[in-house]
Amino acid sequence: MRHPHLSDDRLIDVCLDHAPAATEQRHLATCGVCAERRANLARLLNETSTVAVAEADAVFTGERLARQRAHILQRVEQESRQGRLISFPAGQTSSPSLLRARPAARWIAGAAAAGLFIGLLAGHLTHDFTAGRVMPSSLTPSRAASSPASFQAVSTSMSEEEFLGRLEIAIEGTGSSALRPLDDLTPLVWEVAAQ
Amino acid sequence: MTRTTTRRASSTVAAATPAPATALSKDSALAGEIKALVVAGRRDAARERFADLVALQQRRAARIAYQYLRDVHDADEAVQDAFVKVFTHIASYREDLPFEVWFTRILVNGCLDLRKARSRRLRWVLPATSSSDAAPREPVAPDAGPEDTLLASERGRHIAAAVAQLPERQRDVFTLCQIGGQSANEVSRALGLSEATVRVHLFRAIRRLRALLEHERK
Repeated sequence: MRHPHLSDDRLIDVCLDHAPAATEQRHLATCGVCAERRANLARLLNETSTVAVAEADAVFTGERLARQRAHILQRVEQESRQGRLISFPAGQTSSPSLLRARPAARWIAGAAAAGLFIGLLAGHLTHDFTAGRVMPSSLTPSRAASSPASFQAVSTSMSEEEFLGRLEIAIEGTGSSALRPLDDLTPLVWEVAAQ
Repeated sequence: MTRTTTRRASSTVAAATPAPATALSKDSALAGEIKALVVAGRRDAARERFADLVALQQRRAARIAYQYLRDVHDADEAVQDAFVKVFTHIASYREDLPFEVWFTRILVNGCLDLRKARSRRLRWVLPATSSSDAAPREPVAPDAGPEDTLLASERGRHIAAAVAQLPERQRDVFTLCQIGGQSANEVSRALGLSEATVRVHLFRAIRRLRALLEHERK
């Protein structure tokens, strides 16, 4: 029985290094149409990759690649160089030895930290008690309800025209003469609308 | 072509030998060695070996990056960034994965980021000059090889234009398979797609290229 012609996908597969099956191989050897299709596909693949490679190699010359390699190695060296703390002013000993030299400083620092901690704790407790006593829960919703409504009223009541008008007034009010030429260049909204 | 021949030869070898995973490629072995040196704290020695790894992968990386970005400066930046990232994160390199796949993934991600950044930049800033973003191509030497001759020919220009017309994903897959010399399986791992999807994109790209070039010929 004669093997049917190979599909496009199968031919592409064969061209992309997938060896054809024995029956396909026999068909390709005897069928001129499929053999020609395969040769055309192989040529297309070869040409496209050759062109792409040649195109890239034309811009990435040996010299450019050498420069690039040098940059990479330089950057790698910089990245791997660890940061070092420099003492300032120069010649001054580091803080641990300073503390060792004056043991009283450690006591003072400890006492200050403990005082701060106690103060913070006391302040926190006092604030909580006060908040619980002073803030009646009935007040909170009314205030929360009123603010978005008023904001909405302001935002919807002003038209675009009015907003732009206010902008104009504000600009005139500031008297920024430096912005005047820019303002002259900008077309006014009503002029555009009239056109 | 050398690359295609090599790939064909390697695939034949892979088909003949049942355990290709055990045979490490030269770059994977080198990457493993660099990782061991970094972990042992011998960074200077690691840097020296890294120079060899760069030399092994650099040209291929430049070709891939150039196909992605079509700009020599951006491609240069992408390649540099990818290699620096590789060295910085070499401790996390898994030896069970081929180095080429790991590196390609880093490079492609960098190229995609650069492409995104460039399109954002172009949206807001006008290009400074009218010159093309690619560097001026060097003239083909009188004793140029067949590749240069093809590139300089009308046919070469048509092919380059046809590849440039491919949809982004198809071009990406085609670039990695045909220029990066990777198999569908390796491309799927580098792009985070299934192998079937990679093959679909590759087939579509090839069919589209054929149609475009046949149309040009008519």
